[in-house]
Amino acid sequence: MLDYRFQWRVVFKHWPELLDAAFLTLELTVLSVALGLMIGLVLSVWRRSDNRLLWWFTATWVALARNTPALLQIYLFYFGLGAVSIHMSSYAAVLAAITFNNAGYLTEILRGGMDAISPAQRNAAIGLGMRPVQVYVFVIIPQVLRIVFLPITNQIVWAMMGTSLGMIIGLQELTGMTTFLQSQTFRPFEFYLVAAVIYLIVAESILITARLTARYSFRW
Amino acid sequence: MNSFSPVFTQGDFILMLKGAGITFYLTLVSGLFGTILGFLIGWARTVKFAPLYYLLGLYIEVFRTVPLIIQFVLFNSGLAIFGLRIDPFTSGLISLSIYISAYVAEVVRSGIESVPPVTVKAARGLGMTYLQSFRFIVVPVGARSVLPAWTGLMLGLMKDTSLVAVLGATPPELLRASQIIITRIQEPLAILIGAGAFYFIMCHFITVVVNRYEKSWNEKTKVAA
Amino acid sequence: MIIIENVHKSFGKVEVLKGVNLTVEKGEVLCLIGGSGSGKSTLLMCINALETIQSGRITVDGIDVHAPATNRNKLRTKLGIVFQQFNAFPHLTARANVALAPRQVLKTSRVEARDLAEHYLAHVGLGDKLDHFPSQLSGGQQQRLAIARALAMKPDYMLLDEVTSALDPELVGEVLDTLRLLAEEGITIIAVTHEIPFAREVADRVAFFHQGVIHEIGPAKDLISNPQMERTQEFLGKIL
Repeated sequence: MLDYRFQWRVVFKHWPELLDAAFLTLELTVLSVALGLMIGLVLSVWRRSDNRLLWWFTATWVALARNTPALLQIYLFYFGLGAVSIHMSSYAAVLAAITFNNAGYLTEILRGGMDAISPAQRNAAIGLGMRPVQVYVFVIIPQVLRIVFLPITNQIVWAMMGTSLGMIIGLQELTGMTTFLQSQTFRPFEFYLVAAVIYLIVAESILITARLTARYSFRW
Repeated sequence: MNSFSPVFTQGDFILMLKGAGITFYLTLVSGLFGTILGFLIGWARTVKFAPLYYLLGLYIEVFRTVPLIIQFVLFNSGLAIFGLRIDPFTSGLISLSIYISAYVAEVVRSGIESVPPVTVKAARGLGMTYLQSFRFIVVPVGARSVLPAWTGLMLGLMKDTSLVAVLGATPPELLRASQIIITRIQEPLAILIGAGAFYFIMCHFITVVVNRYEKSWNEKTKVAA
Repeated sequence: MIIIENVHKSFGKVEVLKGVNLTVEKGEVLCLIGGSGSGKSTLLMCINALETIQSGRITVDGIDVHAPATNRNKLRTKLGIVFQQFNAFPHLTARANVALAPRQVLKTSRVEARDLAEHYLAHVGLGDKLDHFPSQLSGGQQQRLAIARALAMKPDYMLLDEVTSALDPELVGEVLDTLRLLAEEGITIIAVTHEIPFAREVADRVAFFHQGVIHEIGPAKDLISNPQMERTQEFLGKIL
């Protein structure tokens, strides 16, 4: 049945390349989440605004991000923009697409967090004489942070998985590099298994760190 | 069909239409098997048996954390090792089912646990067996409460079918079909927007319908005080 | 007859029942009163094996409730139970709620089960609410629904666990009226309750629970008007 000899040494010979690729994955993940958060913060405010234009812009962004495949979004940036003579590298396309996607989901997460804080909190703070900025910083934001912390962590893990799609357009992040290496050495199973384990370790580290941070910082 | 034409042909349109059909097919079949498997796993996790709980928890964690592309290729190359010959399409279908079962399992578990324990005790108190109370009380009540989440999973699954392309599976689903056409003609934008519209309309429409249905249903049968 | 002998029950390390002895005669109405956490509700759930016991014996009409060989599902058809809240099956109409168990457990025919449901729902005063869902009923109506549902199994004993405690005050009366009706019909009732005046008026005997045992037990009117033990006096003094 098992007419196959596993050769793990081949994988470890290419450890440096895999590590580089893993760093690229992490870099893309962190950047896309950071940018996505910044955009998401703005969008979530616009989502609650009375300005029709801003509200529709945000609603459309969120709907498009959540109702279309991430791969399609990558294609749109990579191939689609080529039609209007904007040529993006695979790195840029993946970054743009995952950021776009993150922003959509994060907007909803942040909005959910803000909606969950009852207006009574705001009123109480203003009643005590605090200025609007102080109200936000000292009363609203800490509470919102606690609610959105875990969903944002999940989004980070999701974004990391999203970067693996870059492989399809030739980007050599972890999945792409793994594919390249296994095509050179004809050891697909060993390479992909190691890649899977790396993803697992990184994701679990993120989740465990997040849980510990949450328990420590949100003890109230 | 003129496969060298730099223009969008009727053959291309049919390819995309078939692609949409394949997307549907993949979603329905892996959704069905994945839901059945996920249901069993989620149910098993509510039984008070610690080893099973943690073992299945591991399964869930692994299949929710490893990127889908890696799951596809790992499963596919693993099959080769064990000497099993399955075409890439079926291999992708099985991978998708296993992948989604991990998510369904958690949703099912939360659904079962959302039924007030007292209501279940009332059913047992009437003399119903565990299976009877599960079938007539826990499943109907729990299912209604997690319907939106489950629908969300199925829609996510539909979007994820676009990754089967990585296995070179034939016939191609919608996004792969689009990509094939794009590399030939120089009008990527229109085609991608067309494909995007398909996904968008399906997801958005179904979400709205489920939300409306859920609202009207919940008015009548929300868990009583 | 229900005989409870020296029953001990713990939840993890906490012992809740510390040697309870009690005999309940057929046809009597027994009320269990006492502070929260004194074990009254737990005892009720031990009688129909919804909770296990660590030691002691409970027999219902001669059947040992907790013996491994006992068919508990069958036993439970003799013991109707109604809880404080969340009784009703939210996805079924009142009629379906009541008809479900007779059909699935007693294997009654669909038509008979329907008639049974309509009869008992009318009996508790819900004859005009047959096709309503529990969420469309008031708290008191839901509790009466639960009572009808338990009655439809034609049990020999009814176990009632603080069935009025979660209700708004104005809804308590209708439920107590239903219970009064049941008592008059001669059904054996063991009721955990805080409604002391009701207990004095309707019960044959009252048992006062304190720290996991029956501290004092006696004829309803006597115990409530003239408690002998100090703790009982203290408890009643706080309530009345």
